[in-house]
Amino acid sequence: MHTIIEPFKIKSVEPIYFNTREDRVQILKTACYNPFLIRSKDVIIDLLTDSGTSAMSSSQWAGIMQGDESYAGSPSFFHFESVVRDITGMPLVIPTHQGRAAEKILMSITGGTGKYFLSNTLFDTTRANIESSGAEGIDLICEEGKYPSIPAPFKGNMDTGLLESSLQKIGAENIAMVIITVTNNSGGGQPVSMANIKAVKAICKAHQIPMFIDACRFAENAYFIKTREEGYADHSIEAIAKEMFSYADGCTMSAKKDAFANIGGFLAMHDEDLALKCRNMLVITEGFPTYGGLAGRDLEAIAIGLREVMDLNYLQYRIRSIEYLCDKLVAAGVPVMQPAGGHAVYLDAKAFLSHIPVDQYPGQALVGALYEHGGIRSCEIGSLMFGKYDQDHKLIPAPLELVRLAIPRRVYTQSHIDYVSEVILEVFANRKNISGLRITEESPMLRHFTAKLEPIQSSNS
Amino acid sequence: MTTPAQRKKALKDAGYNTFLLKSEDVYIDLLTDSGTSAMSDRQWAGMMMGDEAYAGSRNFYHLEQVVQDTYGYKYLIPTHQGRGAENILSKILIKKGDIIPGNMYFTTTRLHQELAGGRFEDIIIDEAHDAENEFPFKGNVDLNKLDHLIKKHGAAKIPYVSIATSVNMAGGQPISMANLKALRAFTKLHGIRIIHDMTRVAENAYFIQQKEVGFKDKSIAEIVLEINSYTDGATMSAKKDALVNIGGFLAVNEWDVYEEARNMVVVYEGLHTYGGLAGRDMEAMAIGIGESVQDDHIRARVGQVLYLGEKMMEYGVPIVQPIGGHGIFVDAKKFLPQIPQDQYPAQTLAAEIYQDSGVRTMERGVVSAGRKANGQNYFPKLELVRFTIPRRVYTQAHMDVIAESAGRVYERRAKIKGMEMVYEPKYLRFFQAKFKRL
Repeated sequence: MHTIIEPFKIKSVEPIYFNTREDRVQILKTACYNPFLIRSKDVIIDLLTDSGTSAMSSSQWAGIMQGDESYAGSPSFFHFESVVRDITGMPLVIPTHQGRAAEKILMSITGGTGKYFLSNTLFDTTRANIESSGAEGIDLICEEGKYPSIPAPFKGNMDTGLLESSLQKIGAENIAMVIITVTNNSGGGQPVSMANIKAVKAICKAHQIPMFIDACRFAENAYFIKTREEGYADHSIEAIAKEMFSYADGCTMSAKKDAFANIGGFLAMHDEDLALKCRNMLVITEGFPTYGGLAGRDLEAIAIGLREVMDLNYLQYRIRSIEYLCDKLVAAGVPVMQPAGGHAVYLDAKAFLSHIPVDQYPGQALVGALYEHGGIRSCEIGSLMFGKYDQDHKLIPAPLELVRLAIPRRVYTQSHIDYVSEVILEVFANRKNISGLRITEESPMLRHFTAKLEPIQSSNS
Repeated sequence: MTTPAQRKKALKDAGYNTFLLKSEDVYIDLLTDSGTSAMSDRQWAGMMMGDEAYAGSRNFYHLEQVVQDTYGYKYLIPTHQGRGAENILSKILIKKGDIIPGNMYFTTTRLHQELAGGRFEDIIIDEAHDAENEFPFKGNVDLNKLDHLIKKHGAAKIPYVSIATSVNMAGGQPISMANLKALRAFTKLHGIRIIHDMTRVAENAYFIQQKEVGFKDKSIAEIVLEINSYTDGATMSAKKDALVNIGGFLAVNEWDVYEEARNMVVVYEGLHTYGGLAGRDMEAMAIGIGESVQDDHIRARVGQVLYLGEKMMEYGVPIVQPIGGHGIFVDAKKFLPQIPQDQYPAQTLAAEIYQDSGVRTMERGVVSAGRKANGQNYFPKLELVRFTIPRRVYTQAHMDVIAESAGRVYERRAKIKGMEMVYEPKYLRFFQAKFKRL
């Protein structure tokens, strides 16, 4: 048998509410062409993010019932702490209400004006936290990571040559840390090889720069190492994950991804002094160090989820289901990021809507078209998310214009995915009718979450 | 259950700080009423109805409706807990050099004000600082003190007056409706906002219903709405009144403040339709808010606290009077008059109570008060040990055990010695400080 089935049965279901195309045209307009402003009941298939949207297992729900809600010293914390210590090998574990809070704390301590954070690619909230501390973030993605249509096994790798030369240019003393994001979310959910992690670590060590892992999707990355990198085929996921973490001085984690939790995150590290500073800041914005702004039950759910995600059957199903969608689209000639990443399929909006210039946000235009046509909610990862303005308020575009179809974990079945593919193919066939967008309202930081837009044609006519 | 020998070791390992005890080593946990409530069957049903969509979750719109209907504020920003809301609000409203008058400080609230560049000024009535004064509304504001501040600094330096209902550090003492109304009229003259720390608003409403003339026929729900109507916005830790284990919010009536908060919440907490909370937690909060303003619930809640307080008084234990809404505050200065305040009488007493019975309480005195900007210790007039009662968790039999333990320690009070601080964190030191016995 070669069919890979979901390694679970469904115990509890949540209804989908259907609407018509006419409804959706109106809803999108009301939401100012921003999917973050659409109500979830108006969405048929929600691929906005894989963050916090996982279905928990029956064991996790049992953990939810067992959560100890003591303000201080809850056994749920000690369970959580022991699991994180075991997987990361890092003794100092600090829970936070989610990943961005862990980043906020870490960056505000290690960042500041004149400091630099080097990375394969920083994600939106990570970059925002770095910049709000006054520091600067620099992406050093490998060459093959820059071309969506060219397949390569580890397109999330950091360019170690560029890392060396940046070190020379900036000076090691000005570098707060190097961050490896696994898998590389903004770069298409592409994995980082063990060899690359090792090489980056060697450079960091030589210059005495701390190396942190943004570990949101560590298990998916470990699976790619197992299946693609020489010498790892016989290693367990757990052994690979532990090896990845063994090279790092610390990590940040949003448990809303690879821990199947709906809320939660953490910081883990070796450095006692840094941990002390982090905890001092934690109590101000998050909560006491043994709960970090989370209910005890959520600490339990994370502890259980971290174990579940390393199950090989699960990962095989997970990665295969993303490939399945990607293969269908490639076969039909739809421009997608190749090979398929670990948690999402990324449409190349620049190629998909080649008639829309980047300053008219082709990615966001495609997001709107997918919603109008099939009620699919997706997310732009391009110039709306990462674009900046120059002195003349001209857009400095992002290197890639992608639309991310993030697949929530253990939520949708094959027929949902078939529907998604059908919608995309129909939109692709009629792509010439899609028009660009302009921004009518935006905030200075993380603008994609709340920005308001309007179609360019309709306002001209 | 633990033995005295086990507790002795646990206490030593925890540096005599009850925050650092493991909850497994605690028999009855009165550390806090925050996040420790038992949820109702309806709330648990709501937990199963969580819509975990990242944006536009149905649970958010339910919560928004409930906040508008029950609390009367226009715009809602959910946050993962109360201090998340305080952080955002302080950053938006406070400029460097501003003064924030309030009816007694609260640890996290004052810290956020200071980190945003402001300075807290206490304008609570003098009675609040006297543990034995039986005035029924010791949470009231002294308008003369506020007037003085306005004359000294000018209204432009005061972005808002910070008003807590059921003033925690004063012993859970309520503010009266008449005082709040007068404050509203006064601040209106000067164009100053009132921001409401509303975490225990329903408990405050109960005292108004019971003790203030003209309110005995009004429901808790009506009184809560009236209280809020005299304020311009609120920060809420839903972990208290609203009967949830996690969650909070910022609610405001001004569109501009809301817009700014919405942009800021994404950076610190999460998108404005989840604010760092799971969808299910917003649902549990929406249901909990409804339950929190039911008269029967509040009567039983405050009734249990009164029962414990009266029982302790029978044993001669000196407590803050009148008894507040969420716990009993034992007067450590009077309990241990031989221990000077710089030897932490309240911290010592909390350790002694734990040693006696495994009951975990919290210091609310010089350790909690922390240091001023110039490095000097704040020496608060009140040096208290808080016995906070979680909502709907413990029974009357538990209350009896607690009172007996306090009585036992009181009997041998003369033999108790103070402590010395051996580790002091930079912020909110009471959470993680360590001590040793003298």
